[in-house]
Amino acid sequence: MTGTSNPYIPILVIGAIGFGFAAFSVGVAAITGPARYNRAKLEAYECGIEPSPQAAEGGRFPVKYFLTAMLFIIFDIEIVFLYPWAVTFDQLGLFGLVEMGIFIATVFVAYAYVWRRGGLEWD
Amino acid sequence: MSTEERGSFGTHGTGDTSGYGGLVRTEVTPGSTERPYGGYFDQVADDLERAYPDFADAIERVVVDRGELTLHIKRERLVEVSLILRDRLKFENCLGVSGVHYPADTNRELHAVYPLLSMTNNQRIRLEVSVPDSDPHIPSLVEVWAGNNWNERETFDMFGIIFDGHPGLTRILMPDDWQGHPQRKDYALGGIAVEYKGATTPPPSERRSYK
Amino acid sequence: MGLEEKLPSGFLLTSVEKLAGYMRKNSLWPATFGLACCAIEMMAAGAGRYDLARFGMEVFRASPRQADLMIVAGRVSNKMAPVLRQIYDQMAAPKWVIAMGACASSGGMFNNYAIVQGVDHVVPVDIYLPGCPPRPEMLMDAILKLHDQIYVEKLGPNRELVIKNVEAAALAALPTHQMKGLLA
Repeated sequence: MTGTSNPYIPILVIGAIGFGFAAFSVGVAAITGPARYNRAKLEAYECGIEPSPQAAEGGRFPVKYFLTAMLFIIFDIEIVFLYPWAVTFDQLGLFGLVEMGIFIATVFVAYAYVWRRGGLEWD
Repeated sequence: MSTEERGSFGTHGTGDTSGYGGLVRTEVTPGSTERPYGGYFDQVADDLERAYPDFADAIERVVVDRGELTLHIKRERLVEVSLILRDRLKFENCLGVSGVHYPADTNRELHAVYPLLSMTNNQRIRLEVSVPDSDPHIPSLVEVWAGNNWNERETFDMFGIIFDGHPGLTRILMPDDWQGHPQRKDYALGGIAVEYKGATTPPPSERRSYK
Repeated sequence: MGLEEKLPSGFLLTSVEKLAGYMRKNSLWPATFGLACCAIEMMAAGAGRYDLARFGMEVFRASPRQADLMIVAGRVSNKMAPVLRQIYDQMAAPKWVIAMGACASSGGMFNNYAIVQGVDHVVPVDIYLPGCPPRPEMLMDAILKLHDQIYVEKLGPNRELVIKNVEAAALAALPTHQMKGLLA
């Protein structure tokens, strides 16, 4: 074949070979490997000790991480609302300034509440 | 005070022919030392007396032996004296806590030994606290020298000295549910009998009666 | 699925056994279980002068899931024993254990309250390697003897036959305390 055929064909062939090799390895290992079950084998590896409970399986974690994540979401969305205003600042003029001032003041009430209630303390 | 020890490894009645049965050892435990102590020890003792007026009440004994100064302190005054030693006399470094068990000294069986090092003055002294086995509580020095945390856990694990005020006094060397305190003098070495062809040797703690 | 264990005994199974044995022994990956002084000799065996890389074994896998061989190098304390067992359980079959050194084989010089008197109290051991610590050449000799053992390991019904014979021989053998040695 000369160079007139699609130049991406070799990449496709290599991709297929790679995929085929991986599938072959996993398949042969699954078929010929011995199957000896014990409970420790399926658990997470934690250097030989019993693995600590994770959040996904009902384990408990300090609530400060949850609080930080929630506060981030709220104030991040506030910032998202500020971006269009920044882009169309000139067209909106004084009306936009007053409107956004009211919006920021409303979110500021929530910020002051969190601050006073100790939600920003890490320890 | 000096004690005389005859024989070694409890050789009487065991058929031991090593000759260690005829050994005579004199062990000298130094008593309280009189002034002058020699070297920088006088200066340290004077500074401590000036900084801590209750010196005579808190320090039971001052021993200078083989070029080392040991202050025997009452356990109630331990934290105060340590704070003064750390802040005023500049003993910034405490090299941990060691436990000692003297089963023969009734009411003073367990000792805790704190070697202190002053890097600014290049001085070394030692604090020693004695507590009875029936009430093995010593105030914890973790707030004074933070590095004593794990050393106190180790002393608790090995000797059973309970440090009041320690943030988390648990076993550190032995498994968490171990019974007993291994480094005490009355704790057997343990171990199993060793099996050979046609014979067994008893475990080490039962082969000879160790003193 | 373990297909190769379900083959009927015969020429095919023998060929599969030889092939599987050859493959398994030539890329045995050790798990790092260096505990004490024997670990230094194990590291020396993996280093330049006494090279374990010529057997394909220089990769000491930190994760037991990727390892075939656990070289217990050093004394195992009572606190460490459950950790040892957990790591052994988390290894994927087929797996082998070398008890390296006197402490791993039998408790060594430490016959006391703190040390497990031989890791065969905790995990099944294939090769016991004496020494305190064994020289790197001795470790390599132990590994090569293990290679020979792995090469002749049987699969399927042949393996069950071998297990039955070994068990019968062990039950019929003279117990240690009835043998005549130098102490009796």
